[in-house]
Amino acid sequence: MTIKHLTDDELDLVLIGEELSAEAAEHLSSCVACRRRRDGFLAAVGETLDDDPDEATRARVRDAALAAWGGSRRNHHWVRWVAAAAAAVVLALLPLVKSELAPRPRINTDAVLTEVDDVLSRDPLAAAAPEEVVEAVAPAPETGGEGSWS
Amino acid sequence: MPLEPEDELELAGLARRGDRGAAEVLLERHELAVFRVCRRLLPQGEDVEGAVQETMLRALKGLDRFSGQGSFGGWLVAIAANLCRDRLRRRRLVPFQPLETGDDEAADPIAVVPASEPGPERVAMARQAVGRLRREVARLPARQREVFALRFFAGLDLAGIAETLAVDVGTVKTHLHRAVQRVRAAVEEASP
Repeated sequence: MTIKHLTDDELDLVLIGEELSAEAAEHLSSCVACRRRRDGFLAAVGETLDDDPDEATRARVRDAALAAWGGSRRNHHWVRWVAAAAAAVVLALLPLVKSELAPRPRINTDAVLTEVDDVLSRDPLAAAAPEEVVEAVAPAPETGGEGSWS
Repeated sequence: MPLEPEDELELAGLARRGDRGAAEVLLERHELAVFRVCRRLLPQGEDVEGAVQETMLRALKGLDRFSGQGSFGGWLVAIAANLCRDRLRRRRLVPFQPLETGDDEAADPIAVVPASEPGPERVAMARQAVGRLRREVARLPARQREVFALRFFAGLDLAGIAETLAVDVGTVKTHLHRAVQRVRAAVEEASP
């Protein structure tokens, strides 16, 4: 009776992490020779991991990365401040811009001219000077009392 | 104990908001895989620690791009693999050849032999096997070396490698199968 060991391809499948056929998997579980081939390869791979860095090296590299990261974050804080200041300026100017852009009411020139004519026709001086000036230049006649013209 | 993806997503969220402690936990959990991948993908003499540090910094600065769909470790290793590829491309280096010249005494895996059988012959064979493995991995074409490193040195599964390299699982299987075929043959030749 001949024992059918795993072929190279089947062994490679095992090493890669793929599933074997049920028959091959059953053989592997019971065959010392095939398991030794698999384990021999994995042991050799494991031995190459002996050159893993020690904890001190790992910590040093990690800390350096974290420090550089923290530094770059701090360096960018001024960008946030500038952005905040710019936003504040824009908000402050917004009402002005709005009023500039807002449509202005149309003036009814005919009505204005009519009103001006009306004022001038009633009292030309009052239309051109403040009330106190008018009072000084042409005081209104007093009504009633001793000096009354009536 | 490895972090659950949800934990990693939460930690990444905290780190994104500037939590140094969360960032440190994430890096610490996966840094060994990054070291291993950088060491295997970069040529001898290259600044592995510098590459790992740059990988970590790129990851921290790019936390916004970590969607949480895959593992943080896979994402970090992908950054490392890309960084190594960039460095090799920038320096126009061909897939590196090992500097050691073939005699496997340069390797140092004394402990590879089971404690129950510490015979000198087995020690020598184990040294030879590990030395052959290192050299054969170094000689693999770049893509095969990448998938081999991600599978055996970073411990990713096929789907994880596919995600890391942004290729489909079938492509990973093809490259990995060829790589394992070559490396295993070399190892078995050294330890019949």
